[in-house]
Amino acid sequence: MFTLIKREIEDHIAYFIGAAILSGILIVLSILAIHVHEDSEPIAFVGLLIPAIIVLIIGLPAMGVSQMYTDKNRRISAFLCGLPVTRGQILAAKIITGILAILTFLVPLTITAVVLLRLFAPLAPIYSGYSGLIFDIFIATFLMSFACYCLGLQTGWTSSKITPTLGGVALAFVLVPLILVKGFGLHIAVLLVLFIIASLVRTWHRFMSTSL
Amino acid sequence: MDENVIRVENLVKYFDGRCVLDGINLKVPQGCIYGLLGRNAAGKTTIIRILLGLEPPTRGQTFLLGAESTNLSAKVHGQIGYVAEGHNLIQNYKVGRLVKLCKALSPQWNDEFFNHLTETFRLPMDRKVRELSIGMRAKLNLSLAMATEPEVLILDDPTLGLDTVARRQFLELAIDVIQKQGRTILFSSHILGDVERIADRIGIIAAGKLVVDCGLEELKERVKKLRLIFPESAPANLHLKEIINQQNEGREMVITVVNWNQQKQALVDVFKPSSCTEIPMSLEDIFIECTKPNPESIACS
Repeated sequence: MFTLIKREIEDHIAYFIGAAILSGILIVLSILAIHVHEDSEPIAFVGLLIPAIIVLIIGLPAMGVSQMYTDKNRRISAFLCGLPVTRGQILAAKIITGILAILTFLVPLTITAVVLLRLFAPLAPIYSGYSGLIFDIFIATFLMSFACYCLGLQTGWTSSKITPTLGGVALAFVLVPLILVKGFGLHIAVLLVLFIIASLVRTWHRFMSTSL
Repeated sequence: MDENVIRVENLVKYFDGRCVLDGINLKVPQGCIYGLLGRNAAGKTTIIRILLGLEPPTRGQTFLLGAESTNLSAKVHGQIGYVAEGHNLIQNYKVGRLVKLCKALSPQWNDEFFNHLTETFRLPMDRKVRELSIGMRAKLNLSLAMATEPEVLILDDPTLGLDTVARRQFLELAIDVIQKQGRTILFSSHILGDVERIADRIGIIAAGKLVVDCGLEELKERVKKLRLIFPESAPANLHLKEIINQQNEGREMVITVVNWNQQKQALVDVFKPSSCTEIPMSLEDIFIECTKPNPESIACS
């Protein structure tokens, strides 16, 4: 399994580098926002987050599509199935790789947020409240990113048809405003988990039953 | 475990409404070298892909090493060596990286044997797979399949693209594998000379059905080609069953008949031929006769 995950990471290293760069940019923006906050409006920096979110919305489904489409096109799974590997393991390795890419983006951001809060809001009474907020934001962003990625996986396996691909991207753009409407918290988490389960079940079923 | 390493039961496969396999039943016992033959698009590759779980069957079941093909575990996959038609390898990898991947995934990888094969085939480790010629890809695929020390070796037209020397090397390798006790090989090829050289059981697919499934020697024994010379013009019909080909020219008649026996000889003798001589048949000759239309009449057990 480790070998399969390693192979997936090596084949899609560009997405990991992209996630790390995007995370780095957002960390720098956050630090700048806090420093400049005393003198000017931080809203300008919040505005800069929008392109980053768009990159995320496009990048994560693109990674899923790329993993599945290149696999299907180059018949990688067909080759791997000639080795001591099952289809389930191949798909699981892909999904774990996607999760790792999301964490490459989110973990440094979360650590930075925690550190910044400790530095600039160290007061004990509100600390636990901030920590809970960060947890909610982390979970919601992780689930949103994972849902976008799962959408990509599902789309990538439905061959080269343009309609499902565009449909997938459109759906990904709907997922993010959901957070804006519902806010961070349990409601959005449940909604996204249901979406992820449905998407993964569909992908799993298709991947396990179609010809390789 | 079942003594039949490969088992196919009532296998039916449709592609876009077209029946490719129509109720195939096949058993390959342990240690057998089974040559699967058929014309282009006869369904040989489809059977192999269904066996390996790469293609779902429309109806019927297939079993490999006692496990159902649709549910093969990683352990069972590890006991199978597979060389795909067209040598399906990861094209954008360097040979060295592909080898490393296969080695890491195969617990029974035999490094010594693989190194011997790479030296024999002169495989370049630093080149990308897509840059290799078809012949080199075939050699690489064979080497990867054989280095895993498989219990069952499934070869789908493995010598496609190989030159004569490489084909000979491959056959020697296959014989080497066969000599290791208990190894089973399912082997499909268009080069019938190769199949004849190493197979001990033959299956021929025609029109979606397995029209021949028996030992190579038994097949040669059962299908006979006879030249009959008559004192006057040859009769239009000998009223024999299981004639799969008949050609008349003046006093001469050439027939290909299945299950030739004393009874059939006696029926021919009624027409008082002045001579009856057997024309030796190679596997290729038998194959051509078996894949003609109306193949049902030549099925043997």
